[in-house]
Amino acid sequence: MIEDELAILAQMDTAAIHTHGLTRRFGELMAVEDVTLRVVQGQFFGFLGPNGAGKSTTIKMLTGLLEPSAGTIEILGRSFSATALDLKRDIGVVPEGMALLGRLTASEYLRFVGRMYGLDRETVNRRTEELLEFMQLANERRKMITDFSHGMQKKLALAAAVIHGPKVLFLDEPFEGVDAVAAGMLKSMLQGMIQRGSTIFLTTHVLEIVERLCSHVAIIHQGRLVANGSIEDLRAGVASSLPGAETSQRLTLEEIFLAIVGASGGEPVQELSWLT
Amino acid sequence: MADVDREPGFRFVPTSGGPVGRLAVEQYGALAFMRFRVFANSFRTGAGAFEFGARAISFVIYTFMGVGLGIGAGAAAYALVARNHLHALAIEFWVLCFLWQAISIVLASFVEQFDLSSLLRFPVNFASFFLLHLVFGIFDVSTLAGMLACIGIFVGSVMARPDLGGSIFLSLAAFAVFNILLVRAIFAWLDRWLAKRRSREIVSAIFLFAMLSLQLLNPVLHDSDRGGVRHARHGFAQGADAGRIAPWLKELGSVQVWLPPGLAAASIEASEHRQEPAEETALLSVMGLYALAAAAMLGIRLRAEYRGENLGEAPGRAEIAKQNDTWLLAGRGPVSAEIEKELHVLFRSMTQLYAVCVPPVMVVIIASLFRNGSNFMQRSFHMALPICVAYGLLGFTQLIYNNLGAEGKGIQLVFLFPVRLRTILLAKNLLHGCLYLLTAFFSGAMTALRLGLPEPAIVAVTVAWLAFALPANLAAGNVLSVMMAYRVNLGRIGRQTGSQANALLSMLIQTAILGAGAGVISLCAVFGNLLLAVPILLGLTLVSVTGWLLVLRNADEMANGQRDTLIARLAKAD
Repeated sequence: MIEDELAILAQMDTAAIHTHGLTRRFGELMAVEDVTLRVVQGQFFGFLGPNGAGKSTTIKMLTGLLEPSAGTIEILGRSFSATALDLKRDIGVVPEGMALLGRLTASEYLRFVGRMYGLDRETVNRRTEELLEFMQLANERRKMITDFSHGMQKKLALAAAVIHGPKVLFLDEPFEGVDAVAAGMLKSMLQGMIQRGSTIFLTTHVLEIVERLCSHVAIIHQGRLVANGSIEDLRAGVASSLPGAETSQRLTLEEIFLAIVGASGGEPVQELSWLT
Repeated sequence: MADVDREPGFRFVPTSGGPVGRLAVEQYGALAFMRFRVFANSFRTGAGAFEFGARAISFVIYTFMGVGLGIGAGAAAYALVARNHLHALAIEFWVLCFLWQAISIVLASFVEQFDLSSLLRFPVNFASFFLLHLVFGIFDVSTLAGMLACIGIFVGSVMARPDLGGSIFLSLAAFAVFNILLVRAIFAWLDRWLAKRRSREIVSAIFLFAMLSLQLLNPVLHDSDRGGVRHARHGFAQGADAGRIAPWLKELGSVQVWLPPGLAAASIEASEHRQEPAEETALLSVMGLYALAAAAMLGIRLRAEYRGENLGEAPGRAEIAKQNDTWLLAGRGPVSAEIEKELHVLFRSMTQLYAVCVPPVMVVIIASLFRNGSNFMQRSFHMALPICVAYGLLGFTQLIYNNLGAEGKGIQLVFLFPVRLRTILLAKNLLHGCLYLLTAFFSGAMTALRLGLPEPAIVAVTVAWLAFALPANLAAGNVLSVMMAYRVNLGRIGRQTGSQANALLSMLIQTAILGAGAGVISLCAVFGNLLLAVPILLGLTLVSVTGWLLVLRNADEMANGQRDTLIARLAKAD
């Protein structure tokens, strides 16, 4: 028992994702600037920010879809770059746009992805069936992906991201367009992965989901990391800077987020006179 | 209820007025401005400027081709009208009508076309929508070429018979309007039919059946007594063929006169008989009816689209029954996985199948030219095999030179998988190479069927050229696929967002590969030792294979440098 606990503690100490000075410029635009992050193994990590803050750019750099202008990335303690092929086997991604192949059927797509990760035939077939059943796509297996609804495509993209059993999972807006029933199912699947020691890096605009699932949160604003820590730490930090500290325990993540990125209570700053 | 229009002095432009109303005119202006800004903004990137350069060069090439077509059509019209063979103008009109429709379909994959259905979220009235389709249609390469040909025919005919100028103008105008409407209607309906998976399957089956029939038609029409006859001995009974076909042609002649190209020629012929203006008017009226029918065909399709029909991809049949999917290819490696995926995609893509299958079918016609064509072609008879094989392979241009184009949003997978890009390119190259060789064999077989068995020496030379051309094409194709990829929508024939830069460079490279082969073969033929071309071409093969391997070795580095651009270009929404 003690050995198990020590093993878990050792795992907790190892960073699943570690970036240092991560920067990305697009010409004159500084999309992400000097982001230093540490996500420990087994953590459900929420990465938040307003539109255009640099979330997707960061996730693209972390998954090898975009080359950083500066800075380093370590995944599972090893230096990560687009050519780190062994490391890519440990990573699953639902990227922005989902990366589906519209001319394949759902099962063909999952089999293709499984084979590209080097799974053997039996494993690919078994996992494909299980994932299609789990995602409630089994009846749609012969449909081409291009015929799928947006929510079905999201579920399929998520299935493809986990088919090889990744240790680190990057999810860019995974719940967008997914119905409530499926979302509940996906959340329980992701929580199960966390319990088995996987790490999940999640970006979403649905703050309730982050509040319910994530233990740690980082907030990026205008390309810079402006907050990083557990939700409780952020709540305490924001509460201490606000008048009426006695209400701080009731601050929601949305209120914390708005306080940090500088908006005032979600009210439009200026009304549009011609809009009813 | 709140009044939305609250801002003082603010008024919406009224939606009334049809295609020439104030709102419509404002919208045309906005559309023209948008197109101009898209054009101007393209210069912000190096790739955009390069693309513009390629477009300019393509424009010059197309202009020359169009003007050439116009001059040719004009000269032919002059010769026919001057000799008073007005009825024979029908042949010219038929050829022009066929080219008008065929060029637009062939070029659809390479020429960028603006998808007007994106305008439907705005308050665009149907008449404007219809009109815009026509206006955009006028700027199609095929329509511009067709118009130049019509101008050529007009000038040629009027030079021969100035007194018929008015009638010729009316007939040509009606003919041009019909063709503009027809080509737009064909595109609109093709896009709709091919959007449904079931229809795609049916069209594919009909298409393949038609191809097979075409291949069988020739051996059936011709005798089987040419077995074993070499290319060098190609005499056979042309007179017997002509005698057999003559009754068919007579029948065709009586039918074609009631179809638009025949009507255009007949109305010009009728105008010669001044005493029968009623006949000319009647014929022109029938032409007008055909144009109206084409407009109605287009209108029906556009009306459905205007009402909100989704053209992107109509739902296929729901197949609930569980079926065990099987793998097409054994093996667990990424190469077999990629090849299997490519096969699935290829067999579901009408546009790619069409591009690959049509040239080998056309080989039958090209081969005939070596027997029945001009003196030059007949003198080049011994070279029929390599020329026909090279022609049959033209359809691989898009497949090989833009081999990542069909990945779409899936391009991100290429960078997410624990697989090098060179492995993925190798898989694509293996598949395309096999198809390339199969097509070459098929084209060669068609040539042999049409012209008799070729000499062994020319077979050896052709095989040696293939050995050089395949790796050279694959190497260049891999480079262009990474550096100048463009999105291919496999569900559509029209409305593609092509790349002129890629198209132009691929054309130039293919010309160079063909030129190298032709140069070596011609030189050796001149020196009287055709077989000498084999070792020379095999030497070139070493160079091209080395080039291909080098490209594969550096593919990942090249792709990583282009990663942002590749993803941005291919993953963009349809």
